[in-house]
Amino acid sequence: MSLLPAPIAAVRPDFLTRVTPVARLVAGIAWLVAAIATLDPIVPIRLTIAAIVALVLWSGLPLRRIPRRLAPLGFAILSLTAFSILLSGTNADRSLIAIAEFGPIRLTAPAVSAGLAVGLRVVVIGLTTLLVFGPSDPTRMADSLVQQWRLPDRFAYGTLAALRVAPFMADDWIAIAAARRLRGLQAKSPAARIRDTRDRLLVMLVASIRRAERLALAMDARGFDSGIRRTHFRALRMTWRDWLTIAVGLAVAVASLVLPH
Amino acid sequence: MSALTPTTSAVGSSNEFARWRTIDIIVVAILAVAFGVVFWAWNAYVWVWLKPFGEPWEYIITGVWVMPAVVAPLIVRKPGAALFAEMVAAIVSVLLGSQWGLDTLLSGFVQGAGAELVFGFVMYRSFGPIVAFIAGAGAGIGEALHDIPVYFPTYGANLQFGIAALEIASGAVIAGIGGWLLVRSLRRTGALQAFPSGR
Repeated sequence: MSLLPAPIAAVRPDFLTRVTPVARLVAGIAWLVAAIATLDPIVPIRLTIAAIVALVLWSGLPLRRIPRRLAPLGFAILSLTAFSILLSGTNADRSLIAIAEFGPIRLTAPAVSAGLAVGLRVVVIGLTTLLVFGPSDPTRMADSLVQQWRLPDRFAYGTLAALRVAPFMADDWIAIAAARRLRGLQAKSPAARIRDTRDRLLVMLVASIRRAERLALAMDARGFDSGIRRTHFRALRMTWRDWLTIAVGLAVAVASLVLPH
Repeated sequence: MSALTPTTSAVGSSNEFARWRTIDIIVVAILAVAFGVVFWAWNAYVWVWLKPFGEPWEYIITGVWVMPAVVAPLIVRKPGAALFAEMVAAIVSVLLGSQWGLDTLLSGFVQGAGAELVFGFVMYRSFGPIVAFIAGAGAGIGEALHDIPVYFPTYGANLQFGIAALEIASGAVIAGIGGWLLVRSLRRTGALQAFPSGR
């Protein structure tokens, strides 16, 4: 059993699972940029609709698992929207008519609309992230970044090797807690708990560094740093699907920005 | 040169200092993964409870988010360590399902770049508490430059300046000084003997 959440991954092949990861990344970044480029809430609303349509029709993701996964997102959206409206600079502008007043607090229409836009940005970001990372695993992302974006291969595959270690860290975390309990180290007061957490983190980092050293040695023994040009087991080429994804992604981003209300 | 000399020395001889060995890459990546896991837990369990209590508590502790950008360069002392570590930590928290998703890649980039510029300014030669403090502040500046237009565009200018000041101070103290203390603790355990920082 692991402490870490299982990633939301595609459960069946679909259009987007056949699209190369960098194509989804380009389209996703275009949506992200469009969502943060404006304080008009219609833009993130349009992008949210587009993202939901893409998730349902083409992503191959298990749709039922998505709402639970996005629960922290809901919290973030609510608090961010509330603070963006409450603390908006335009509320102090007396030339604007207040749409609501409670004692000293006064809310103006532009403040509410801009606050909603900021909250909806986070919705767009969350859904777009699922579309970019959900349909394929990190290995294909690394392959794609190395072959199609020419990222340095040792760094990309080194990162991939390190990612594989994350579940062991969560196990270490539990084992360290058990070992400390066995030695009678128990934190009771809140301050002691913070110190306890800090000490456990240090032990976990030491264990991680040791693990990294063994892993690096094993990789070097297999010629990871041989300097010989790397060949690829899974050769990736841009297909019509990839170009279509990029074109439609960019078109949706531009359209949601420029279409009249 | 003896027959036992590894082939890598021929590749790296032109600039041995800047060249990343496998162990440098893996240790930075694994540390960043560890921080990414911490970020994810932080986002999912700490941030969501702190945020509703309101400003400014959240910004006093944002320095936690930029720790890899200081810790990794202090350990491996290689150009690019701040940027690489912060980006990997960002990717890991995205893969685990951070509510900030793709945007973490943008913030990770500017935060890492902020610290990277400071270490670059001292030519990757000085790694004391003062440089760490300034690098933490640099990462905090990157964080503020990203967060204010993306998440706080509606706030009044005074509040925006306040948030920026808190993020920068938090980066300098928590990531800078805290990161330096963390690396000192790691060195004392003997875990850093493979690196210049551990000798």
